[in-house]
Amino acid sequence: MSPALLLLVACDRGFSDPDRAFAAPIEGPPTYATTIVAPTTLGVVDTSRTDVHGTPIGVGCATCHGPDPSQAWAATPGEPFHTGVSLRHGNNTCDHCHDPADRTRLHLADGTSIEMGAAIQLCAQCHGKQYTNYQHGAHGGMNGYWDLRQGPRTRNHCVVCHAPHDPAIPVVSPVLPPHDRYLEPPHDHL
Amino acid sequence: MSTLPDTESRRDTPAVEPTEYVTSYPEFLWRALKVATDGGPLFYVWMTVLTAVWLVGVNAFAHQLVQGQGATAMTDHVSWGMYIGNFTYAVGIAAGAVMMVIPAYLYKDRDMHDVVIVGEILAVAAVAVALSFVNVDIGRPDRLWHFLPYIGRFNWPVSMLTWDVIVLSGYFLINLHVVGYLLYTRFLGLRPNPRWYLPFVFLSIVWAVSIHTVTAFLYSGLGSRPFWNSAILAPRFIASAFVTGPAFIVLALQAIRRLTDFHVGDAPIRTLIGVLRVTAVLNLFMLFAEVFTELYTGGSHTAAATYLWFGLHGKHALVPWIWSALAMDVTAALLLLFSDPVKNLARIDVACLLTLFGIWIEKGLGLIVPGFVPSTLHEIVEYVPNQLEWKVSLGIWALGIMIYTLGLKVAIAVFTGRMHHERRS
Amino acid sequence: MTTSDDPDRRNVLKAGAVTLGAAAFARAVAPVTEWVDGLSVDGFLQKHYKELSKEEMNDILRRHEQKTADEYGREVQIQDVRPIPGVQFAYALNLSICIGCRKCAEACHQENNHDRRTNNSYIRVLEMTQGSLDLAHGNPNYDHPVPQPGKYYMPVQCHQCDNAPCVKVCPIEATWKEPDGIVVVDYDWCIGCRYCEAACPYHARRFNWTKPEIPADEINPDQAYLSNRIRPQGVMEKCTFCLHRTRKGRLPACLEACPTGARVFGNLADPDSEIRWVLENKRVFVLKEDAGTQPRFFYFFDV
Repeated sequence: MSPALLLLVACDRGFSDPDRAFAAPIEGPPTYATTIVAPTTLGVVDTSRTDVHGTPIGVGCATCHGPDPSQAWAATPGEPFHTGVSLRHGNNTCDHCHDPADRTRLHLADGTSIEMGAAIQLCAQCHGKQYTNYQHGAHGGMNGYWDLRQGPRTRNHCVVCHAPHDPAIPVVSPVLPPHDRYLEPPHDHL
Repeated sequence: MSTLPDTESRRDTPAVEPTEYVTSYPEFLWRALKVATDGGPLFYVWMTVLTAVWLVGVNAFAHQLVQGQGATAMTDHVSWGMYIGNFTYAVGIAAGAVMMVIPAYLYKDRDMHDVVIVGEILAVAAVAVALSFVNVDIGRPDRLWHFLPYIGRFNWPVSMLTWDVIVLSGYFLINLHVVGYLLYTRFLGLRPNPRWYLPFVFLSIVWAVSIHTVTAFLYSGLGSRPFWNSAILAPRFIASAFVTGPAFIVLALQAIRRLTDFHVGDAPIRTLIGVLRVTAVLNLFMLFAEVFTELYTGGSHTAAATYLWFGLHGKHALVPWIWSALAMDVTAALLLLFSDPVKNLARIDVACLLTLFGIWIEKGLGLIVPGFVPSTLHEIVEYVPNQLEWKVSLGIWALGIMIYTLGLKVAIAVFTGRMHHERRS
Repeated sequence: MTTSDDPDRRNVLKAGAVTLGAAAFARAVAPVTEWVDGLSVDGFLQKHYKELSKEEMNDILRRHEQKTADEYGREVQIQDVRPIPGVQFAYALNLSICIGCRKCAEACHQENNHDRRTNNSYIRVLEMTQGSLDLAHGNPNYDHPVPQPGKYYMPVQCHQCDNAPCVKVCPIEATWKEPDGIVVVDYDWCIGCRYCEAACPYHARRFNWTKPEIPADEINPDQAYLSNRIRPQGVMEKCTFCLHRTRKGRLPACLEACPTGARVFGNLADPDSEIRWVLENKRVFVLKEDAGTQPRFFYFFDV
């Protein structure tokens, strides 16, 4: 503590109405929950075509891939409907993540089939450090309450920010820089 | 002829009845008002010009109040500018006036004693200027009462600014008391009682050093601003104050000698020139020591000094100013050292003018602005005062010169005996 | 002057000069009337924040709500939000995953009712060069897609220092540190000397150079006396960790806006909090540690 800080503390006069100094204390354990915003189904693949209005046409993956084993054909590179899937995720191929037996599901490295919504487990197999950070609130965005005694919290699932086929965060245009007074052209005020 | 109180002849003047003070003090003020507003054509022209400049400043300040400080060229990057620069400089002038008080009272220099009132009035006027500059700089002058101890919340002793408020208003009151007491007693035809003014004179000597030291501490206490965060800042402030104060008085004494019937001998001017010869060189030496330390060391903490002297990343608004200041200071020092104070008084006057301007730059904008450039996040945002700031600043200086002129006018009238009280016998 | 021997004429001239001077003065100060109109007796006499009783505080809050409605055309709710006992706020920022998108600065701008003309924000994001922590190599005015190769991004806002230079220098105690660690400003007490702005090593303080301008529909109506209510002209302001949100348990606006989760906020006094985990498990550092300010804002590099 610096001498000036000591003086400052020594000279502090506090509140003349002590009731105003603090809010009411909050007792008890956290009662609210954290919800993870997670997609539970397959997504949409771009077909690189557009409709009459110029809107890109996408095809839902589930159009072809249902839970029926007959729809779980092997992945063929260059297959027409998959040209819109740009896979830039290390050396991974489709079957590293998608369950070959049921395309609506994923599977872990040991072969255990998991639901789409449980993908975090799958990601965590390789990205353990990020997963640890995530578990401790130090990775991935969140909304709501820091204090779960006072309100709930929602958290992002990995794929909210990282497209699973191309997980690098895309380059974006930033929000405009500050335009402080000095950046305005000088003008006379009188 | 000496204007020193003729102690022998007045020793046995009868004491003044207490009731006489009650009537004579209003009379003193009334007569002072009359004297202060009476003069020759030159005086009226002078006062009209000063009033006009002051009113332009008042008008500019009124606009600034309405629009906010946004009407100035200051920014969140350079958040102090012209006003605080002038404030610092004016505090220096006020402190420098003590260079007459020290010889007059400490060394019992009788010639200086005769004219010391010229310095004491300067101290009053200069502090008034300094305080005015603070008042135009703050965003909410309507809340000034928050400074009042007990009524407001005065963060003393932690904040250096509270110290500055105390020392500046204290210095103002001490000098006002000394000047007022000396003039009033002379007006009454009494011998001033040393008990009522000598302690205050000695206090004012210590206090003069304190005002510029505390003002330096305002800046040097900020770890966030490496340009100011230097132990030599307070000594540098004192050294430059002891240049500007005497330089101003040397010029003022000559003007008084020419324009009034007040007797100003050569001796006080010569003494002050002697002081100047030392302080002008000392000021340059300290400046050199600071610049050397900054530039030889290098690194990001010296970016501000680099900006000031050479410019940084293509921004160099202050470079011409600071080199002009250096040229003026050096020329002034050389002129002072190598001119004869009797034969070459004109050269000395040039030196005084040069050093007044030189230090105005060096201890004004040249000291305040580099504290903010580059900013604490190392952004380089330049600052050049705009027209409004010039108007307000010139207005305040005009007000200060007006106060000084009127103060001198009253003092001279009292000292020459033109303004005196008719004693009841 | 030829008239110097004629006292009567001289006095008439003097009176004329004084009248002229007074008229000129009245004209010069005329604009001040507009400024005086903006002041109120209640506002002028208002006591320091810590000296107000609950009732006085309520009156002031209602007065400010009325003023906002009159001047900005928006109904707002201003509360006096006090610290929760046992809470000590701190913030950490992961520099490895910040992409420099300035979403935090934008969220701050909207949440805290900043002046729209200056695009003011309490957060300044510096584009830094890899291999250097020297702010001299930082650039806050970048305007190109981010992140750029070879760069990293460092948002800087108030560090809520435990040894705050800004609090130390304030001559009138208009700014102080609250029990939960947040440094606040009483906007109704500050005189706008800007000494704190000079003292802050992090460029965290802003001055209201003019009256803030915000369209009514963009005003955030959820306001607190010490944080995001619309500030008066001529006073200082600063980041308050969104105390109108965080003292009610919510996350600060800048954190919610962060798309990568680079920001971690919480209660230092809670051993199970996220912020404690970061401080205990990451190699965190503070900006300008040599300034001795003891910040409550930590940075770390961690993918």
